[in-house]
Amino acid sequence: MRDKLIIGRMIPTDSRVHELDPRAKITAMLLFTAALILSNGWPQLAALTLLSILVLAATKIPAKTYLRALRPLRWLMLFVFLFQLIAGAGNGALNLSAADALLWSWTWGPFTLTSAVLSSALLAVSRMALLIVFTAMLTFTTTPSMLSRGVEGMLKPLSGKGTGAERFSLMMRLALRFIPALLEEAQTILKAQAARGADYEEMQLKEKARLLLSLLVPVTVGAFRRAEELTTSLEARGYRIGAPRTAYRQLIWRSADTWFTLLFAILPLGALLMRFTL
Amino acid sequence: MIGWMKVNARKKSNSEADESGRKSTRIDPATGGSEAAAPIGIIPAGNPQPTSMSEGDPAIRLTDVDYTYQAGSPFAAAALHDVNIRIRKGTLVGIAGGTGSGKSTLLQLLNGLLLPTGGSVEVLDHALLPNMQKPKLNTLRRRIGLSFQFPEQHLFEDTVEKDLMFGPLNFGLAREEARLKAVGAMKSMGLDEALLKRHPLTLSGGQMRKVAIASVLAAGPEIVMLDEPTATLDSAARRELIALLARLCREEGRTILMVTHRIEELMEVADEWIVMHEGRAVFQGDADELADRAEELEHWGVAVPEQFRCWAEWTARLPQLAALPLPRTAEEMAKRIEEAVRGFAERESEPEDEQQKESEKQPNRERSKAHA
Amino acid sequence: MEREAAAVVELRDIEFAYTKEDTVLKSVNLTVQQGEWIAVVGESGCGKSTLVRLLNALLQPQSGTVSVFGEKLTEHNAPLVRARIGMVFQNPDNQFIGETVEEDIAFGLEGLCLERAEMERRIEVYTGKLNISSLLLKHPGELSGGQKQRCAVAACLSMEPEIVVFDEATSMQDERSRRELLDVIRDMKEQGGYTIFSVTHDVDEMLAADRIVALQNGTIRADCAPTSFFENKEWLRDCGIELPFRLRLEQQLKARGIGQSEISKKLQQPGVKQAVEGGRVRDRLDESKREEKIE
Repeated sequence: MRDKLIIGRMIPTDSRVHELDPRAKITAMLLFTAALILSNGWPQLAALTLLSILVLAATKIPAKTYLRALRPLRWLMLFVFLFQLIAGAGNGALNLSAADALLWSWTWGPFTLTSAVLSSALLAVSRMALLIVFTAMLTFTTTPSMLSRGVEGMLKPLSGKGTGAERFSLMMRLALRFIPALLEEAQTILKAQAARGADYEEMQLKEKARLLLSLLVPVTVGAFRRAEELTTSLEARGYRIGAPRTAYRQLIWRSADTWFTLLFAILPLGALLMRFTL
Repeated sequence: MIGWMKVNARKKSNSEADESGRKSTRIDPATGGSEAAAPIGIIPAGNPQPTSMSEGDPAIRLTDVDYTYQAGSPFAAAALHDVNIRIRKGTLVGIAGGTGSGKSTLLQLLNGLLLPTGGSVEVLDHALLPNMQKPKLNTLRRRIGLSFQFPEQHLFEDTVEKDLMFGPLNFGLAREEARLKAVGAMKSMGLDEALLKRHPLTLSGGQMRKVAIASVLAAGPEIVMLDEPTATLDSAARRELIALLARLCREEGRTILMVTHRIEELMEVADEWIVMHEGRAVFQGDADELADRAEELEHWGVAVPEQFRCWAEWTARLPQLAALPLPRTAEEMAKRIEEAVRGFAERESEPEDEQQKESEKQPNRERSKAHA
Repeated sequence: MEREAAAVVELRDIEFAYTKEDTVLKSVNLTVQQGEWIAVVGESGCGKSTLVRLLNALLQPQSGTVSVFGEKLTEHNAPLVRARIGMVFQNPDNQFIGETVEEDIAFGLEGLCLERAEMERRIEVYTGKLNISSLLLKHPGELSGGQKQRCAVAACLSMEPEIVVFDEATSMQDERSRRELLDVIRDMKEQGGYTIFSVTHDVDEMLAADRIVALQNGTIRADCAPTSFFENKEWLRDCGIELPFRLRLEQQLKARGIGQSEISKKLQQPGVKQAVEGGRVRDRLDESKREEKIE
């Protein structure tokens, strides 16, 4: 399980992207997402793709690894694609008259598949893929603790004197640290069930659902046990929310971070611009 | 079938297999490569007398087994290399090794949770081969049970009874039969039937462990594999559990494979030992053969059991002990020592000097060298 | 002011219960001197872990008093006391908070409000002591159980506590790691300056301690030196402890009239022999080839 889910693990290479301040990377990620949402055509997407390829190349992490990050979500992407296609095709007949720039269309019963529908379904999937790859980039180049520090740093001004930012950051840090462990635990229980004649991989959908449901109790119990032990050890190490702390790693904002953020800041603006001019 | 005969023809004493096993790896692909290349579901390996439980009957045979996690990916990690193991029916086998030595992977290969990436795994009358289409394995899994390291991983229903019936029901028994099996399994593990109605997570640590094992026994497996069942138990509970396992083997005729990192606790009852180290089966043999290689144990990441230490200390003082097999229990060892001391005292009452002590150690050491 | 030896821990008439129905600890009295190594033993569920959790106010007793460092423990001074008591727990995974060994150790130090330079110094010193200097940048997923547990010990010792509690710290470890950890505790004892509590099922650990505190159903059943403890069969039975092979053999020999004299002298102290061998093991630690492989 841990091997399949490769998002969330930092891959150390000595690239410039690794050295960027996590706050810059998170901001860039938000801007990139905004640009993706705003972009509604192939030209914008091409621009975004080009930019992501440049950034990905700068990370010095092989392209293959990014493709592997997409793999666990391939069914979801297929689902999105088909959903868009079928939903679009179902309405196809209605749009048929309205659409004038059609290259081709194909009708089967109530469904009319048009090039426009196909194009928009492809667009949806491509956006999704870009978003996943970009998220993967963020986690491949930033350790979870740096990520949570980044989030904390960004939230702190918002939460004022309260401990909200610290709480959130600790929660995120622990979640990132322990979710893989919980998944592994679930995996082992599935194996124990398979050993007793209930092999998940051999099952019908309905049985699968029932089996997964049966995991809920032991995994939750396991999570609680872990959480309890964890809080005990946090307490024993003198941790108290709101107590003064020093930081082992200070976040340092360099000029490269500013440039990186600015580069991404023009994206949503550009997308908006193209949307209204094209 | 041919597969078995070929393997049988190469049958060797285990310690020999350790050294020459690798050589035969090289030869095998030339002669037997074709059979490995034709994976077609489960191949019944044609055991001539499936009903007989005679000593020589192999229950498990691993031939040149490799296993790599996530083969072909950037995260690929080899877990087993060239493992050759043969386990007879009705024996109690201890599997020792440090963390990461491949012990748990080995167990998961035996019931098809993992398929080998090289070599062949033959269990009872099933064969598991690399790249085979994932076969329906329930006929095999009913006969070979696996108890995982943490009991919580077996207990997901809301009563002990349901947990125990989970296996039998999956293997196609009717509810009533499954219920009877559950009761039987509780008896086998020396548990009170009253616990059947309890919620599994309200049991004590020791009870939970036994219930987890009972949940495996309920399906009536011929082979029972246990992954570190004694970890986190206190020493008295550990001893009790091992006595129960020995009973399952001796009285009910089951083959027991138990992974442990404490050789000491299983010494009295184990018929045979396998030591795993860095993904290889570096040793297979009985306790005496293991005692001869005691010096290597630390390197393999397992502690030298106290039985070996004490016996070595006494053989150093009383050289006549060196010829005897290793006594498994404290009582037996004391008896042997007593006999030797009495005999020694009768023959002569020479004062021991350093030089003599040195010479006494010699034969023992030479003996172990010869075996290594 | 100075008494003959300062009592570091003093428990008086402790009663503790998680729920009203079942009391976990009953009228527990215990005084521990500076520098002692106490092994807390007993069957699972006898209240061992509860007992040590009272020391740093992770739990509060219903009645009775806990005094640590001569001060009565209250909610008010608990944070100060915690900084002086370190704990290492059973499951190394659930006490590994950082993403790397370095960050995990730093986590505790940040709470002490140390300067970066001092944090670096301590990380260097204690990872050196625990022989994990080469693992500073490793993720817990890349470490073996033993390495993770040594990291937990380093994290604990780096906070420079005066009392260190090992709560079944060796029970999930494999044989080699168990011995390594035991050697670490022995070293700490030898070095002095630490008062050590180890909650344990491990006979070697019990034999190495100065004193055994045995609990049965929440009361102290025995409080004595390990040698006298292991001579009492009743105590052993009540605390779920099986005699180790060496002692069983010795008893058998005694029963046969062998071993009163010089013969058993050599066998009397299993701890001594193993300490020597343990040292050898530790030298080999660095070539940690057994890093981690997926089990």
